[in-house]
Amino acid sequence: MTRHSLTTGPTRRTVLMGFGAGLTVMAMPGALRAQSGPTVLRFGLSTFPPSIKPWDNTGAAANTVKLMLNRGLTGYNNASELVPELAESWDWESDTSIVFKLKPGARFHNGEQVTSGDVKWSLEKILEPGSSSFLRRDLSMINGIEVIDDLTLRVTLSSPSAVMLDLFANFNCPIIWSGSQGEDYIGCGPFKMKSQERGVYIELERNDDFVEAGTPKVEGIRFIVYADENLRYAALEAGDVDIIEYLPWSQFDTVDASDKLKMAASLGPYMFLLFNVTQGPFADPRVRRAVGFAIERQDIVDAAFAGRGEPLFSFPNPQGSPFDLSDPEHEWSYDPDRAKALLAEAGYPNGFDCRLLATATYGMHQDTASVVQAYLAMIGINATLDLPDWATRVTAGTEGRYDLCVHGTSGYYNDPDSIASLLHSANPSYLQSFGFKSDRIDSLLDQGRAETDPDKRTAIYQELNTVYFEEVPQVPLNWRVQAYAMSNRIQGFASFPGFLNGASTYSLDETTLG
Amino acid sequence: MAAFLFRRLVAAAGMLLVVGTIIFSLLVIVPGDPAALLLATGGGSGTEEQIAAVRERMGLDQPVWQQYVDFLTSSLRFDFGTSLIDGSSIAENIGLRLPRTLELIVAGALFALAVAIPAGTYAGLHAGGRFDVVASAANALLTSVPGFVVGTLFIYLFAQILRVLPAGGYVPFAQDPVQHLRMLVLPALTVGLHLSTIIFRMTRASVLEMRGHDWVRTATAKGLRRRLVVRRHILRNALGPVITVVGLQLGILLGSTVLVEFVYNWPGLSGFLVSAVEQRDYPSVRAVILTVAAIFIAINLAIEILYSLLDPRIRQQ
Repeated sequence: MTRHSLTTGPTRRTVLMGFGAGLTVMAMPGALRAQSGPTVLRFGLSTFPPSIKPWDNTGAAANTVKLMLNRGLTGYNNASELVPELAESWDWESDTSIVFKLKPGARFHNGEQVTSGDVKWSLEKILEPGSSSFLRRDLSMINGIEVIDDLTLRVTLSSPSAVMLDLFANFNCPIIWSGSQGEDYIGCGPFKMKSQERGVYIELERNDDFVEAGTPKVEGIRFIVYADENLRYAALEAGDVDIIEYLPWSQFDTVDASDKLKMAASLGPYMFLLFNVTQGPFADPRVRRAVGFAIERQDIVDAAFAGRGEPLFSFPNPQGSPFDLSDPEHEWSYDPDRAKALLAEAGYPNGFDCRLLATATYGMHQDTASVVQAYLAMIGINATLDLPDWATRVTAGTEGRYDLCVHGTSGYYNDPDSIASLLHSANPSYLQSFGFKSDRIDSLLDQGRAETDPDKRTAIYQELNTVYFEEVPQVPLNWRVQAYAMSNRIQGFASFPGFLNGASTYSLDETTLG
Repeated sequence: MAAFLFRRLVAAAGMLLVVGTIIFSLLVIVPGDPAALLLATGGGSGTEEQIAAVRERMGLDQPVWQQYVDFLTSSLRFDFGTSLIDGSSIAENIGLRLPRTLELIVAGALFALAVAIPAGTYAGLHAGGRFDVVASAANALLTSVPGFVVGTLFIYLFAQILRVLPAGGYVPFAQDPVQHLRMLVLPALTVGLHLSTIIFRMTRASVLEMRGHDWVRTATAKGLRRRLVVRRHILRNALGPVITVVGLQLGILLGSTVLVEFVYNWPGLSGFLVSAVEQRDYPSVRAVILTVAAIFIAINLAIEILYSLLDPRIRQQ
């Protein structure tokens, strides 16, 4: 039996022909490629919103979707200035009493007019005891909501508030139709829910009766979830989506160099270290301050954020903040000698061992932790990395199962008050140093919020800056650049500065697809 | 036969109970509080009071034994309950996503069979020939490259460079058939590529073994057309073990397409399971694992019954 005698099974030619036919079939649909409707914006989200309950905060992706469905009394224009949204105007009768006039043309998605009764109902829902509303504590200075007529209402406060109008513009403070049943919340945003599938997509269609006549410009938005950041970017490059949030830092250079893509970036969130101050060396503020002097922050920016960020040496006063808080006397620098001196002063001349908590879920947290670990070793602090998944990380933070830990977040408006929830002992959470409580910081935060005179507020926050350096509730590390990337066809999408970065999606109202 | 069937069914039910109990216990042990997590997503945080309120809504304030009893009794009624995260029906979610994972697996398997059986047969018939050397080397290479690497390369090549196929995603067939198929191509190829390496190896080895048998020589000697010899006397015998392996692999794929689904954003069952684990959505995790386990056990049961019909001796054991 020769090999030749058996060659009339599949021959090389038939096999190759099979391959060829397969390839042709695969490539064929490429020619039939159809663009989805030209004016439906396709938006690549980083995660599917865990919930779009109007007043709960479940993250940036949810906030973007919520902002398209719902609106509040105030909002931001494309220049990121606070402007009336459902409110037509407002008038402060005194420091603690404000009267809102509503726009008569504002309508909910079911056609009902937006009335002061709906505003009262929504605010009361937020303030309801036991509600999971994000802004419940921040808005707790509201002690009266009085309906004057259908379009006029008075809100009275127990103390003045410098930031209430900013809070009203937050994604988590929308006005919902008071007749909404159960979980079916009816809002009045620029888009209406068309269809959705959990974990996959959310499709919205234009609300033709939106209060801002002539907007939104596109006929709909299709949010598509790409959990993997590299796939999200690939989808943008392949033209599957028109815009993505959270452009991965590794791709900034590619987008810069591309003639098809552009980005809207701002120096928004910041990275910092938290401490468990209930035990061990970190209970001593001198040790915490020493950590602040031990770290070369530019290395974090370079290693974790591909150079897209800026070192942060003191209290995180956001870009766009009206206050100048710079005070070289009370800020850190990279000064290992001073760090060692502080450690010696605190009784740890030879350093110590500790656990550094971060998460493997987010590369930027993990990379930041690695750089911190290396620099701490240089002053004798041997940190063991603990890198669980995000869920475990959050619980470990809440329960204080760490010595020091990496975190990064943003406020929601460009005012020092915006990080009160990260510092005030009334809101203990995994976002704060475990067991940390400072009466001075609490009191300054309360004063700053209740003060409406800008000069007095400046003085208050300058003092807060000093106390922050002395008591070290956190060690600031760096600002990071946060970016949306988009096709060049997109016009009118604006990048809001500082902590307002997440609110940039307000500008989707004006966005067009060329 | 009835007694045999009864014993097998009891054993299958027992296995499901064990699987269910293990999943339940694991999820109790794993750290991470779904309530705190829900309120913590994206840099926010809940107050203790808010977390307590959410825990109550989720039923997590009940004692563990109570949760276990509830879980068992509701599973018996096929009532998987609702997701902790968004309150959607878990049964509906599974009903939606299981077919997509199956679609991916079936499409991948069809591709793998279509490529690997002819290629494996040809290579087996011409062992040591040029095609065999090249194909076997390529096969060794592809076997050792994990699916997510292949996936990433495919996306880079076909979506980002050539821009002929989408980078990932999904649209229902009913909504846009062409786009649906275009989105299916890359993930199915990725699933199929790995499967095809296994099938190629099995087919080649099996054909190589069969072609040396006496009956093949006899068939050739009595003047049968070569095509018939290959098809009837070699392939038919050679494919037995191949089919067994393919069957096994399909079962395994049901739980292991997760990386492919992740890389291509294909909204199948494994992706649903992973995100449920990440969010500590206990009822969803349990329901998906129970479903997959039940399918496995059902397949095994079916095979056992089939074997017992073919070979009555098994029933006596």
